[in-house]
Amino acid sequence: MSLRFKLLIVALSTLVLPWMGWQLVRQTESLLRQGQEQALQASAEAIVKAIDALGVAVPVEEPVFPAFAATAPVLVDGYTDDWSAWRADLQPVGPGDQARARVALAEDRAWLYVLVEVRDGTRTRVDARDRRVWTSDHVVLELERGGERSRYPLASAAPGEFDAPADPPLRELPERILGQWQEDGSSYRIEFRLPRAVLPDRLAFALYDAAAPARADPPLRRLLRYDEDAARALARLAPERMRARLATPEGWLVADSGGLVADADAAEPDDEGWFGGLIYRGMIAPALTGTRSLDGVSARLAGEEVAAAATGRPRLSWRPGERPGEVVLAAAVPRHADGRVTGVLLLEQASRALPLLANRALTGLAVASAIALAVAAGVLVSFGALLSFRIRRLRNAAEQAVGSGGRWTGPLPLADAGDELGDLARSFGKLLHEVDAYTGYLRTLASKLSHELNTPLAIVKSSLDNLDQQPLGDGARAYLARARDGAERLGTIVRAMSESHRIERAIASADAEDFDLAALVAGCAEGYRALAGPRTIRLRLPDGPVPFHGAPELIAQALDKLFDNARSFTPEGGWIELRLARERDGVVLTVANSGPLLPAALQDRLFDTLVSMRERSARGSGEAPHLGLGLYVVRLVADLHRGHAAAHDRAERDGVEFVLRLAGMPRRRLADVH
Amino acid sequence: MPRTIAIVEDEPLIRANYVEALGRIGYEVRGYASRPEAEAVFAQRMPELVIIDIGLGDEPEGGFELCRSLRVRSPTLPIIFLTARDSDFDVISGLRLGADDYLAKDVSFHQLAARISALFRRMDALRRPAESDSVIEQGPLRIESERMRISWAGQDVPLTVTEFWMVYTLARFPGHVKSRDQLMRDAQVVVDDATITSHIKRIRKKFVAIDPAFDAIDTVHGAGYRWRG
Repeated sequence: MSLRFKLLIVALSTLVLPWMGWQLVRQTESLLRQGQEQALQASAEAIVKAIDALGVAVPVEEPVFPAFAATAPVLVDGYTDDWSAWRADLQPVGPGDQARARVALAEDRAWLYVLVEVRDGTRTRVDARDRRVWTSDHVVLELERGGERSRYPLASAAPGEFDAPADPPLRELPERILGQWQEDGSSYRIEFRLPRAVLPDRLAFALYDAAAPARADPPLRRLLRYDEDAARALARLAPERMRARLATPEGWLVADSGGLVADADAAEPDDEGWFGGLIYRGMIAPALTGTRSLDGVSARLAGEEVAAAATGRPRLSWRPGERPGEVVLAAAVPRHADGRVTGVLLLEQASRALPLLANRALTGLAVASAIALAVAAGVLVSFGALLSFRIRRLRNAAEQAVGSGGRWTGPLPLADAGDELGDLARSFGKLLHEVDAYTGYLRTLASKLSHELNTPLAIVKSSLDNLDQQPLGDGARAYLARARDGAERLGTIVRAMSESHRIERAIASADAEDFDLAALVAGCAEGYRALAGPRTIRLRLPDGPVPFHGAPELIAQALDKLFDNARSFTPEGGWIELRLARERDGVVLTVANSGPLLPAALQDRLFDTLVSMRERSARGSGEAPHLGLGLYVVRLVADLHRGHAAAHDRAERDGVEFVLRLAGMPRRRLADVH
Repeated sequence: MPRTIAIVEDEPLIRANYVEALGRIGYEVRGYASRPEAEAVFAQRMPELVIIDIGLGDEPEGGFELCRSLRVRSPTLPIIFLTARDSDFDVISGLRLGADDYLAKDVSFHQLAARISALFRRMDALRRPAESDSVIEQGPLRIESERMRISWAGQDVPLTVTEFWMVYTLARFPGHVKSRDQLMRDAQVVVDDATITSHIKRIRKKFVAIDPAFDAIDTVHGAGYRWRG
């Protein structure tokens, strides 16, 4: 991971700032909410008490048949189109099998409309006035008014109008009921209306199905009607811009007042729009879990708020408002009488002020923290870029220095910087200097050592020569021979040690001449055949002579070293290939051989001095010791000819390849010679 | 009367070894540790051959000084240089001191003795009139093997004993390639290939100094050298 990227991640820590601000806004919002909740609940409870004090009638006892307020004229035709508003609120007339018949009631200024819908797939139809009516499909409507009851068999032999007589006929109640009967494959519907003047106190419906004869006698239920008095009382009591609704514990609406109107501020032009609403809902608002169905105008307040209040516990809830950015707070409180819950007051308040306030704060915070974040990220990234640029420069310089064998010319970059990187650069410089000195020491160590060893070696040798002349026993001669052998070997080692030094001198004094490189390579290859033993020598030369300007002896020497190296790694029966090719600006001399691949660790350092890739020393084999100077010589020769040496595994991975790219020694101008 | 040899060498053990070894062959050998000591003795009596170490005690190049003063006094005195460093060969030849040979200190006693006897032989031959049977002539090249003298187009080439032996080996059979090993054997030296190369280079330079068009010594890469007949 780059430094820049890391710093970018660090820059992300500034996000803590907006996060904390957000938390603060949320907390403030939540406090404000709590205040609002408490206020609303207090108002709701006050209203309940006031309603009691005003003597608003307690809704009738359960169970009831609710009569909905008809807002549009209802046509008595046996079809349910005009009942669509209350389709969900159809009431079963009784438990069990009776639940197949469901009833809805609605009233307007003059009439009480009744719809009975019965699921019944079998038909046994007669008219209501038929004697067999009590054994055919019908619904018994029982009405009670002023303590007297009458029953009406609602039946029809065919879809259309029916006429149900009262049984018994009473003065208080209509003597017959006219209505419409309609049916389809699975059900039939009965629709009729009663004038409000003869509105019954209580009523009951009983289903009789001829296919499953069972006579039911459901209890009479009271009619629950919208209470205008209570509505007026609520209108007086409810605070402005709040909606107050009074319902039975079951949720049937008894009275309502007011509407959900948000604060006057809402009309202000700086409406946050959908975006503000989105932010508010996404980031600040608590879970808006309130029942959304409470929004509309319906006959029944279904929702857990009302259900909870019906059990005696006040309940508060928040829900999203109908307009974006608006929330609605609803408080449902129970109304008690004689220790029982007799009703529920639902007080609702739409609110825009709070979200607006919070949104503004949050938007400000978001903008401020976005700017802060961008600035911080920008500063950190550019700082990181600068830092990594400087570090890269230093690294490149260090790598270059290391790559050139610790030799570094000139000061390292940043060495005069005052900060820690400057310190690092100076330390690097010191280190490289040390390495340089050390490499220099190593480079000259061998020749210095060999020089120092020459004198004692001469002493040993001359002493052995003298000893040879002395009369000695056979035993002593054997030891003498061994000592001489050891001294010889020591001499070889000492000479090998000073080899690179000699080569360096030879290179320093090398004179360039023009010669045919192809002939030289061919000659060398010819010479190597004798040395190669069972190994095959392959020679590949370009056609014709390859004129070259350089030091032939040195190139031959480098070739010797490469051949020597190749030979020692080629198994018997392997091959060694010498290849010469022309290139655009020079020649390529390749010595390839079959055998083990190069150790990966040494790839780049093979041509350095004192680096040897031989695992075993030449001890015991009688060969010259290997000090890792051979390939160094190759490199020196390559450098002299403005080229470079490289070693790599063959593409076929069956051996290695040492490649010399040579451009030739620079031609001296005549002026330099004289 | 044994021939007298002086050894100027600051390392007492080497000096003693050489003195004893050469004495055993029959020479009269004296060892000296420093230049002043040797010069004091040489002022009274000149030895017949001098072996000089280059570095003498406090004088890193005291051997050169001594060689110069000896050469002034005797142009024919055989002088052999012993050096601890191969690189000194170049220095010595560069100085044109007129030494008869340069040897590394680790030279075997046998090789040293061969040179000494060759030099004495040459001294003897120089005193006698030239014998025609020991002369090889190859175009402009003329080798007098007894006198160890080589001339090119009538001019003497100032070769050391080692160089003489190399040229002699090459020129005796023109056209034949002599490997480095053969050259080493015939020139009685044990050195590495690079040193042979620099010997050949020096030889060429000496010929070229006389005749800029000289190119009789051919390098056969991978094999050795050849005298172009």
